[in-house]
Amino acid sequence: MSTSDPAGDGLGLRGIHVAVPDGPGTRTLLDAVDLDVAPGEVLVITGSSGSGKSTLLAVAGLLRRPDRGEVLVAGTPTAELSERRRTALRRERIAIVYQSANLLPALTAREQLELVGHISGERRSQARGRAAQLLEELGLAGRADQLPAKMSGGERQRVGIARALMARPTVLLADEPTASLDGALSAEVAGLLAGEARGRGLAAVIVSHDDAPLAHAERHLHLAGGALKAITTVAG
Amino acid sequence: MFLALRDLRRMWRRFALVGLVVGLVAMLSTVLTGLADGLVRDGTSGLRALPVTHLAFAPHSEAVFSRSTIDERSLAKWTRVPGVEASPIGVSFVNAASTDGGPSIDLALLGVSPGGFLADRSDARPPAAGLPGLVLASELRDEGVKVGERYRIAGSDLTLPVLGFTFAGSYGHVPIAFTSLATWRSISYGNDARGRFSAIALRVPADVDVAAVDRAAGTETKTKTEAYDGSPGFSAETATMTLIRAFLLVISALIVGAFFTVLTVQRTRQIGLLKALGASSGYVLRDGIGQIAIVVLAATVIGAAAGAAVIGLLDGGPVPVELSIGGVLTSAALLVLTGIAGSLVAFRRITKVEPAIALGVEA
Repeated sequence: MSTSDPAGDGLGLRGIHVAVPDGPGTRTLLDAVDLDVAPGEVLVITGSSGSGKSTLLAVAGLLRRPDRGEVLVAGTPTAELSERRRTALRRERIAIVYQSANLLPALTAREQLELVGHISGERRSQARGRAAQLLEELGLAGRADQLPAKMSGGERQRVGIARALMARPTVLLADEPTASLDGALSAEVAGLLAGEARGRGLAAVIVSHDDAPLAHAERHLHLAGGALKAITTVAG
Repeated sequence: MFLALRDLRRMWRRFALVGLVVGLVAMLSTVLTGLADGLVRDGTSGLRALPVTHLAFAPHSEAVFSRSTIDERSLAKWTRVPGVEASPIGVSFVNAASTDGGPSIDLALLGVSPGGFLADRSDARPPAAGLPGLVLASELRDEGVKVGERYRIAGSDLTLPVLGFTFAGSYGHVPIAFTSLATWRSISYGNDARGRFSAIALRVPADVDVAAVDRAAGTETKTKTEAYDGSPGFSAETATMTLIRAFLLVISALIVGAFFTVLTVQRTRQIGLLKALGASSGYVLRDGIGQIAIVVLAATVIGAAAGAAVIGLLDGGPVPVELSIGGVLTSAALLVLTGIAGSLVAFRRITKVEPAIALGVEA
């Protein structure tokens, strides 16, 4: 299922196949999935629970290797890369926003962002400055020194988005980013995520089983039976 | 260690239990080190105080004075070696009963020659000079022994006066008494001494071929430190203490290893997240093992300090202890190293965590 920019700075999946053990046999989660996401494009993938959405995201984010197929990140084929090189590519090009933010409980909002800089070897002062700027941009300047336990769900998710942007990625992946939020907050976070992705020219894939992100997407795909079955142009 | 330090600061309760256990092990290990050093001191302080570098024993006596008998011919061989000072010494254990109502005492009796360098010691000079009498370790004064009191030496017909007290230390945990070599011989051999004594006290320059002189003299020479092994109970005591301390180190390593393994299992998702953020396994390992190293180090320092305080309290009492900075530091360093080694059991578990776990996906 291919659209635009197959070889550019975006994300490309080619013939992705993933099967998982299921009792005595296996169950196919992704079957010959093709996908291209262009820079600045926001794609929403919906599907029922257990349909393989998160697995698709894990493959696209180089968190796991597919059984077959190729993932192109900013035009770089990754199937033959060593684990070390895949880690480096993930660090340099890909960021993920998680369900319930997945923040580290011992770190303040500012430190969640600084950690990303620390992992990539960025100078402390520079990482600190960028973290402060990102928190400011996302309306979190006043919460910079708060631990996750003291934040609301919406704040945690915004910190999660800021942490993802801290990596200066070209590919942004989001796993059920609004699942733990109520109606208005859900729409706000979805809008923020899509707006930041579009504004920074990131190839963004949001998997979701709720409708909140749909209003902000260029495309909507539905994952069922291991294949991306429906494509709907929502916005753009 | 960006995450490790902040985790320690804000989630310190998680580490309190393992820190407490490691601290208690460090304290116990330090106290045992003090006891071991105290036992060594108590068993060999008299030997250590002797102004000798070596002791020549009879062959196969393994530095045990009671197994060694030397005669004047061997002494003469040693005396003729240029630069070597050699003096006969007799060592035996006796019981002395006061004839003046004083306490009965056990003594490590050292017979020294009036012509030898051992008699240069002021504490050894009066008895070595030929006056029949005893100069006792000063600890015996605290037990009620007085100068002028007379003591009958068990197993002989001799009754000797106490001439004075000095710091003589002890040997085999028995207080030392100096007497003349002639007096010692009459106690040990009666009228049949035939010039015999226990060993030859030596001051040997570094360039002397000790083995060659041994062959010529028919002796078996030990350095002063090697001669500690011959002190009664010395080997068994040090081996027992070493074994207990080794067990403590193993226990500590197992505790730290078990704790870190459980912590790693609890943090599987967090480790996956760090890897998903682009952290290498090396980064995660440095963070985790660095964190446990800080906990073990801090707990060990506090525990060792507490142990040193306990030794300080015990010092001067009936239990022989010695606060040796080197011993405490070595014990603490070993504990830190084995603790960190214990944490390495989680090494493989950390490296095997897949980043996909951050998304709740099995790799």
